[in-house]
Amino acid sequence: MEIVYSISAFGILFSMMLALIRAAQGPTVFDRILAVNMFGTMTVLFIGVVGYLTNRPDFLDIALVYALMNFIAIIAVLRYRDFSVDPAEEAENHEHS
Amino acid sequence: MIIHGITIILFLFLYVIAIVIGRSRNLFAAVMLSGIFSLISACLFVIMDAVDVAFTEAAVGAGVSTVLMMIVLNLTSDRESPPVQPKVFPLLVALLTGGVLIYATKDMPAFGDPEALIHQSQTTNHYLWHSFEESHIPNVVTTVLASYRGYDTLGETTVVFTAAVAVMLLLGHVRESETPPKLINDPIALVGAKMLIPYILLFALYVQFHGDFGPGGGFQAGVMFAAAFVLHGMVLSPKHTLKAAPALIIEKLVALGVLLYAAVGIYCLFKGGNFLEYDVLLSHGEKPNPHGQHIGILLVEAGVGLTVFAAMLTLFYKFALRGKA
Repeated sequence: MEIVYSISAFGILFSMMLALIRAAQGPTVFDRILAVNMFGTMTVLFIGVVGYLTNRPDFLDIALVYALMNFIAIIAVLRYRDFSVDPAEEAENHEHS
Repeated sequence: MIIHGITIILFLFLYVIAIVIGRSRNLFAAVMLSGIFSLISACLFVIMDAVDVAFTEAAVGAGVSTVLMMIVLNLTSDRESPPVQPKVFPLLVALLTGGVLIYATKDMPAFGDPEALIHQSQTTNHYLWHSFEESHIPNVVTTVLASYRGYDTLGETTVVFTAAVAVMLLLGHVRESETPPKLINDPIALVGAKMLIPYILLFALYVQFHGDFGPGGGFQAGVMFAAAFVLHGMVLSPKHTLKAAPALIIEKLVALGVLLYAAVGIYCLFKGGNFLEYDVLLSHGEKPNPHGQHIGILLVEAGVGLTVFAAMLTLFYKFALRGKA
């Protein structure tokens, strides 16, 4: 069973890397928001898998916290970010900087 | 072996993120990346078996810190102004400090080294081997935090209290925003939040009172309680939350938590024990009652939870109700 958990752990790490690249590169706000949201989901999965990999399934409590609270940050972004700026324009700014 | 590989990859992620955040002039991207930074740190804490710390990181990182950062970005601008001139001196200071820190790690024992001083010390061994017979609480972390090191935790709670007071003093006079921020008015967010808030509160209660047996305790539960209210405040508006949890009461709760903690300690003095010596809490005369430890830790954790919850919510109120400068 351990081999299955290891493969899934590395698979999750790989998709974490992809999300990380998207969050770092952007270029639009929406890329970053989605990347962070996806990274949160990956974390929930990762903590679950590592819990079973190390024979400590009680780690699932922490995965539960993330599952419950992960989207609070995203709501904050939607609430407090001014989206009136054109995303394409932001992409252009990004290239200049 | 596999765990080692995972740890190295996670540390690599942290390294990359730190560099990208440092180079980015886009503060919004920096906030998003610091959210990811906190998620990865929590993964690392889980791998290193520091479950209680991972719990705190989970509650603070996912629940509150990104929210506060976003509110602050909303109040200011999300682009960092370019530096006037390239600064050499700060770079030197940073390099020097980093170099000293790296040099200092040479003296630190390897991770999990059984020969390390901390594992050989009598105090550690006493905590690990005798905590159950002395307090009948399975989670050693809780026993150390609330009973053996009760003084330190009282100090930490006081620090949280002081921080909340400082924020209240600095941002005391709330400048009412003239144009109230627009409601999201999004049925998905509204219904999702409505469905989740009760479960967040329920889970927070579980974390608060199950801290004796599993990971968790007052600090984590307090942040989770606050996160539920913050979610309510964001989906409706902070003014709606003010009606449910008036700022006047919440501000008093910040002090009440510390007071409860200290009162338990002083009550122990009256029962003839030392400050925060819970063994005497339930005793009649000479006969000690082992349940005293349970009651003491429960009350003390409740005090911590109250203070942390109220402090977090106060922070949210002070920032969210503030108008744009």
